[in-house]
Amino acid sequence: MMNKNEQKISIGKKIGGFIRSNPVPMMFVLICAVCIPISGFSAGYLLNEIITRMGRNIFLILSLLIPIMAGMGLNFGMTLGAMAGEIGLILVADWQIWGIPGIILAMIISIPLSIGLGILCGNLLNRAKGREMVTSLIISYFMNGLYQLVVLYMMGSIIPIKHYSIMLPRGYGIRNTVSLLNMRQSLDNLLAINIGNVKIPVLTFLIIAALCFFIIWFRKTKLGQDMRAVGQDMDVARDAGINVDKTRIISIVMSTVFAGFGMIIYLQNIGNMPTYSAHSQIGMFCIAALLIGGASVDKASIGNVFLGVILFHLMFIVAPKTGAVITGDSMIGEYFRVFVSYGVITVALIMYETKKRKAKAKAGRQLELAQTGEDKQ
Amino acid sequence: MNAKRKFLFRAGAIVILLLIAGAMFIVGRGHTVFFDNKAIEYNGQTYAAPYKVVVIVDGEQAAKLYDKERGKAICIGQKFTMSLEVTEVKGGNEETSTITLDLPYNMDGIIINMPALLAGLPEEAYLSEFISAPDETEEEEVVPDDLTLPEDITNPG
Amino acid sequence: MSKTGNEVLELKNKSKISELLDRFGLPRLIIAGFLLLLFVAAPFVGADFTMQLTNTINRFSWNAILVLAMVPMIHSGCGLNFGLPLGIVSGLLGATLSIELGFTGVMSFVMAAVISTPFALIFGSGYGWLLNKIKGGEMMIATYVGFSSVSLMCIMWLLLPYRAPTMVWGLAGKGLRTTISLEGFYDKVLANFLQINIGKLSIPTGALLLFALLAFLMWAFLHTKTGTAMTAVGSNPTFAKAAGIKIDKVRTLSVVMSTWLAAIGILVYEQGFGFIQLYTAPFFMALPAVSAILIGGASVNKASIPNVIIGTFLFQGIVTMTPTVMNSAIHMDMSEVIRQIVSNGMILYALTRKTVRSR
Repeated sequence: MMNKNEQKISIGKKIGGFIRSNPVPMMFVLICAVCIPISGFSAGYLLNEIITRMGRNIFLILSLLIPIMAGMGLNFGMTLGAMAGEIGLILVADWQIWGIPGIILAMIISIPLSIGLGILCGNLLNRAKGREMVTSLIISYFMNGLYQLVVLYMMGSIIPIKHYSIMLPRGYGIRNTVSLLNMRQSLDNLLAINIGNVKIPVLTFLIIAALCFFIIWFRKTKLGQDMRAVGQDMDVARDAGINVDKTRIISIVMSTVFAGFGMIIYLQNIGNMPTYSAHSQIGMFCIAALLIGGASVDKASIGNVFLGVILFHLMFIVAPKTGAVITGDSMIGEYFRVFVSYGVITVALIMYETKKRKAKAKAGRQLELAQTGEDKQ
Repeated sequence: MNAKRKFLFRAGAIVILLLIAGAMFIVGRGHTVFFDNKAIEYNGQTYAAPYKVVVIVDGEQAAKLYDKERGKAICIGQKFTMSLEVTEVKGGNEETSTITLDLPYNMDGIIINMPALLAGLPEEAYLSEFISAPDETEEEEVVPDDLTLPEDITNPG
Repeated sequence: MSKTGNEVLELKNKSKISELLDRFGLPRLIIAGFLLLLFVAAPFVGADFTMQLTNTINRFSWNAILVLAMVPMIHSGCGLNFGLPLGIVSGLLGATLSIELGFTGVMSFVMAAVISTPFALIFGSGYGWLLNKIKGGEMMIATYVGFSSVSLMCIMWLLLPYRAPTMVWGLAGKGLRTTISLEGFYDKVLANFLQINIGKLSIPTGALLLFALLAFLMWAFLHTKTGTAMTAVGSNPTFAKAAGIKIDKVRTLSVVMSTWLAAIGILVYEQGFGFIQLYTAPFFMALPAVSAILIGGASVNKASIPNVIIGTFLFQGIVTMTPTVMNSAIHMDMSEVIRQIVSNGMILYALTRKTVRSR
């Protein structure tokens, strides 16, 4: 009897502790709890949507984990990988390679592009230590310009593109949308299981699981350990004989390659590709989802990714409808979810910076104390 | 030794990826196959269209064609297998046959003339390329910064 | 003897050139060269030179104050103000409220400036307070403060009870339009003030004068006691602290100044452009301003008034010249893409310079 009570108390404490240590996910649980009944969507519909979106997005978000491990913060440069994936898809669409072979070929094409872009990004970030995030954000903007230069002006004029369905009528440049109808959900539909109205894309989830296991395994390897050491303290890592710059570049390259794969998985589910805007949204939404799952700039786990996807996309689905029901204008809900995405990133960044500053101040005080102590001796 | 092994490992990985990519090129090439049930003239001889042809691809009925009708199916890869249920005259018996064709790699759309195929004529008689007219109506101008939500929010100027 | 002397001289020259190059920066040189090329090429491809110059000067007058808004925060060590949209939002509030309250003509501009001031002061102090909490990570937070404020205002533009028929959606009778015409309000009020017309060349004197006034005030301020204190905080915070300067207060002041200048800057931009752009328009307005001042020779922690003037002129020159020259030369309008690459490339260059250590 006593024992049971104690257990209850400890469980209650644990839950309380969980709530206190994860304020952001809890807030979103609340938002969703309020919005879902108002929006009036059925549970089956929501479940189906969430599972579809999990399959679509998780791989992309997982690509953010490795740079966080290496202490490089939220990798806004994942957009680069997304661009590499898109270029792979454009070429595959031009060659008319369909279905799963098309997806595999696009992934293979994206690998060298992602590695090249990742090395470039990593080198630039090594020149901007301490402000990796803003730099990676600007890199993504800069690369967006180059991507447009390549896709809008070079493809068809310098890079051979011949298929009329993806090329602009003027003879060069790719159309605003590239249809991926011939590979639409071919990954999701293979091995898919239908339970009631809910379709579970088993193969996509198997691929996601493989990446999860890879990340878990990678953490334990020598390189993974090095990365964590670099993330903890670059100077200490350097003294321990780790090539800090190289390790950081590798982490960005891995992230970029995975982001490229993730983008291809994402787009094959959607079934068509907005050529000039698909990648630019993706970085912000992935990062927002990860943070909503309870991650911070310097710490993120696979659990955060899954929780984040569920909560973020639940909000994403219900917000416009809820806004429409309350105010009669669906635009408010759309703006609201954009605001929430930006807001949550802002709050997470502020929390991270204040924490960092506090730790620095504490270390400074300790150093001062130690020095005065030495002086006395 | 270590460096050499590393190099070999990398070279091997690249070769494997290239091989897979090459295989995908062959395996994944998609074609649209059109079936024409239409009389054809070849070497001065006319081959009349049967009353009805049912085309079955992958166990599903892709088309049911009467005279002068066209149907289509998609095919990934260069081997195209279909079952045909041919009814020569109205009320006549159904004859079922399975036909496998080698599709030319560089054609997106392929037209197959049923009477010529059923008559066992050579490839040049029954197979021709389908060239779709580029739809000029779909004239679209690409604006890098389009002002629709939420694209423009994330498309930096 | 003379030979070696020559060699020494050459060597000296070489080091001088490389030093100059180093100080000037390679990308800046490329951009200046590119603009020069555009000006030279313009007559050959049949573009009207005076017309181009007029456009460049006009666009300079629209944008210069937004670029000037970068100066105080760079001086106080807060880095590049990617949070410029916060100030822009204050300006937009002033502009829309001024029209809502029924002001027209020149008065609507004056009132817009007056009304936006308290907003800029309040938002700016809050923003400054926040940036003091997170010293060292200013630029990233600033970017996202800007984004969040713009996306919050997107909701507000729909919900706030604006009623003026020129501004709200006609059908619903509420919710502001995405673009609001300033005709009858302050469209070109500054540009038309004392406008000089020489042939096809027209100079928007009023707008340039306002910029000159603000730039002079900024210059004068930087030479006052508070101004030098601000520079001290930026260049050597330890020294500033030892000298008894209240660092946080000075930094907040710089942020408020920057926010207010952004508010005024957007009003001047609107009077030149002729429209108020709401909703998502301010999202990326910080980037051109940031890159303009960098092109002008500023760095993450150093900026002057000449940087503002040179930078705005170069940047706006490229923006106006590329479309016409490119279009007539190769029949491809790549100007938008080139602008993106140039402007973001410049910011990237400034952020990744090894010599500039983040503090």
